[in-house]
Amino acid sequence: MLLSDVRREVWFWTWTKYWCSESSGLLSVLSISLGKKKNSSLLVSNISLTIFNRYCNRDFDDEKILIQHQKAKHFKCHICHKKLYTGPGLAIHCMQVHKETIDAVPNAIPGRTDIELEIYGMEGIPEKDMEERRRLLEQKTQAESQKKKQQDDSDEYEDDESAASTSFQPQQVQPQQGYIPPMAQPGLPPVPGAPGMPPGIPPLMAGVPPMMPGMPPVMPGMPPGLHQQRKYMQSFCGGNMMMPMGGMMPPGPGIPPLMPGMPPGMPPPVGPRPGMPPMTQAQPATAPGILNRPPAPAASAPTPQPPVTKPLFPSAGQAAAAVQGPVGTDFKPLNSTAATTTEPPKPTFPAYTQSTTSTTSTTNSTAAKPATSITSKPATLTTTSATSKLIHPDEDISLEERRAQLPKYQRNLPRPGQASLGNPPVGPIGGMMPPQPGIPPQQQGMRPPMPPHGQYGAHHQGMPGYLPGAMPPYGQGPPMVPPYQSGPPRPPMGMRPPVMSQGGRY
Amino acid sequence: MDIRGRSPPAPRSAAGLLQFPACTAPPRHFELTNGRAAPSGGRGCAHCACVERTAVRRCEAVRTIGRLPSSSVKNSSPWCGLERGKKPCTMKTMTGSNEFKLNQTPDDGISSVKFSPNTSQFLLVSSWDTTVRLYDVPANSMRLKYQHSGAVLDCAFYDPTHAWSGGLDQQLKMHDLNTDQENLVGGHDAPIRCVEYCPEVNVMVTGSWDQTVKLWDPRTPCNAGTFSQPEKVYTLSVSGDRLIVGTAGRRVLVWDLRNMGYVQQRRESSLKYQTRCIRAFPNKQGYVLSSIEGRVAVEYLDPSPEIQKKKYAFKCHRLKENNIEQIYPVNAISFHNVHNTFATGGSDGFVNIWDPFNKKRLCQFHRYPTSIASLAFSNDGTTLAIASSYMYEMDDIEHPEDGIYIRQVTDAETKPKST
Repeated sequence: MLLSDVRREVWFWTWTKYWCSESSGLLSVLSISLGKKKNSSLLVSNISLTIFNRYCNRDFDDEKILIQHQKAKHFKCHICHKKLYTGPGLAIHCMQVHKETIDAVPNAIPGRTDIELEIYGMEGIPEKDMEERRRLLEQKTQAESQKKKQQDDSDEYEDDESAASTSFQPQQVQPQQGYIPPMAQPGLPPVPGAPGMPPGIPPLMAGVPPMMPGMPPVMPGMPPGLHQQRKYMQSFCGGNMMMPMGGMMPPGPGIPPLMPGMPPGMPPPVGPRPGMPPMTQAQPATAPGILNRPPAPAASAPTPQPPVTKPLFPSAGQAAAAVQGPVGTDFKPLNSTAATTTEPPKPTFPAYTQSTTSTTSTTNSTAAKPATSITSKPATLTTTSATSKLIHPDEDISLEERRAQLPKYQRNLPRPGQASLGNPPVGPIGGMMPPQPGIPPQQQGMRPPMPPHGQYGAHHQGMPGYLPGAMPPYGQGPPMVPPYQSGPPRPPMGMRPPVMSQGGRY
Repeated sequence: MDIRGRSPPAPRSAAGLLQFPACTAPPRHFELTNGRAAPSGGRGCAHCACVERTAVRRCEAVRTIGRLPSSSVKNSSPWCGLERGKKPCTMKTMTGSNEFKLNQTPDDGISSVKFSPNTSQFLLVSSWDTTVRLYDVPANSMRLKYQHSGAVLDCAFYDPTHAWSGGLDQQLKMHDLNTDQENLVGGHDAPIRCVEYCPEVNVMVTGSWDQTVKLWDPRTPCNAGTFSQPEKVYTLSVSGDRLIVGTAGRRVLVWDLRNMGYVQQRRESSLKYQTRCIRAFPNKQGYVLSSIEGRVAVEYLDPSPEIQKKKYAFKCHRLKENNIEQIYPVNAISFHNVHNTFATGGSDGFVNIWDPFNKKRLCQFHRYPTSIASLAFSNDGTTLAIASSYMYEMDDIEHPEDGIYIRQVTDAETKPKST
């Protein structure tokens, strides 16, 4: 029968997978069973590569989801609910912002609560923890192979029955409880909940078979699988139960549609796990809750893609603004934070500080714009946008040049040939400088005047005393500027117009 | 506090209370070390509430006086004036614990600060008030001052006894600090913007707005060559026997000081805005370039593609106030010679210390009254001189007083984290 075959295969597959992953739920089970014939060797080879959470030993399909789970459960500040990225980051945040100390990772199993290890997703997990996990998985696979035999027997047994009969349950309960020790994870809360399981099983069993083609573990006849399934069904896998219930999938094709819903459902059910006993009664109630949750994680799932690796640094080339996204303060890429959070970019210490969000795009645009403006001749800066403001004068000259043009720095320089200018005199003298090509004193940073400037500079150096001759436009200058000149200041005054070109350039 | 840091016997205030100097123990930056939360107040220094465990040993006042006096002010430590039990060790540490302001600072803005090459005792400061001053840092006193005819834009030590400086008056002066003798070495055709020394080649380098870089033999002293640049020189830095010049128009040129016949590398700055400052890594692998748009780029000198792939840039010195992001120029960069980490100072008044290898910010100091014009690490990396001086970004407005702050920096603030 198709149903039983599928059930059997999926059951076997999921069951083995279930054993292999310490705390996997139906989700990961089904994910592997999806579209594949069972392949225990393949499964075994996958064991060491599964993505798991080092703090609570849960398994995940995707590192992204793992990271979301970590952020939400382990790296979340209990005071302000801010989600950090690492354990040390959380500790620093609590210390700095709330003046509170944290010495353990929240929601972590005992033995894995060290807050000083910087773990992000699967990175940073100490080697000994990886070893421990591999050992556990190997134990599981061995235990699973034993169980397989048992399961085969019981499976045969089961096939003869059209539906999971409750008569199976009591028999299963005992062996299930016997299986608890090998399966139990240190600190798994479900273990104490086992006694509470049996009462929950019958209602589940009854409801499951008709709609759970993908839930063979639910079938009686899988004592350990059932037990764990129970746990997880009632815990985050309660979500699994819920969703298929909502879906009413046909046996075969039912499995694939189940899968997409699963991953987003993974993180939220972590919460229910501690609340397992209530789950048994609250299954229907939790269904809408779980169904609501997937959209939220799904929405945020696409965003944190860059920080999966160590902090990224866009190469600062031309593509800086466009391609890899800007990096925020503290070297953090801004793309990821743009969508997720909008905390103000306080320059606080944590290495993954959130930074500005909406200004990201605007600063990108402003960064892109000056590429053209700088190369063009009138070098003014396109500085401001609606949300960002460059604290710098508009002309593209250095701050020192601009400051040097202030009158107070001109007065001190007695030597001719000083490149010092007064701005006020520049104006009126500028009016006298029309013959000078393209060197209006107000315009600064103009490139074309350079050669003339050079000439004037040379003139300056060459003939400090020969000012009138050096400045043909000012041949008429002196008579035209009597108001500006007294005897002593005259040479400096005379010097100014050509020097103004220098200043104009600056 | 005398040179050795010992405090004199405590004076008595008018009210008859013993007045103790501030606890000299640097506040413990627990959040900067390994994220471990600070221990409870019981383990901290009983006298000044700073939670550094060793503060009990280092708190000089305890050693000299020996007992904690009663204080009429409840809950405040007479040593530090802090609330007892209050942790002073926040990211923005307070001035006074490991930082002090120099006396007799220049009357106008500060353009450059440089430590002596072999000691952290002497600091050379050039200023817009046309003076160059030498300070004895531990004694917090000015040892020497000499004048230029115009604002001085940069200064440098040739050796511990000779200072070179240049500025708007376009003259390059060498000053013997022992004999207080001045020597006009030469000049440029436009204000001199940068003065640096290259120990490997034993040459002084100056860059000017006349678009030239000139080399000077410090022994004679005399001009050893004039080399024209494509644009006005805004900044330059010496890396081993190479010279990195940052000019207007966002150009960067790398010269080999032993062979100035040609430009070794011509680059364009990877930042889209005007180059503000360039400093070379002490390990000579590359340089750090900052722009006026709150961005810093870390670049490598080796032109091979696999090394060039490692270059990156990041934003910094930006503040967000009511949804407007204020972007400040990054005016100053200084490297820690030992750890190869660097500090940046911007016009926002903040100083950040960065770890370029792990790409993390190590530390940020408290906000200084006004823009940071210049930074200098001492040769051994224990002291950081911070010149806080308005840079006229917003024209001539009322601004806080300029000052030079000397700060003792710890490994926690400057050393890359191993994790």
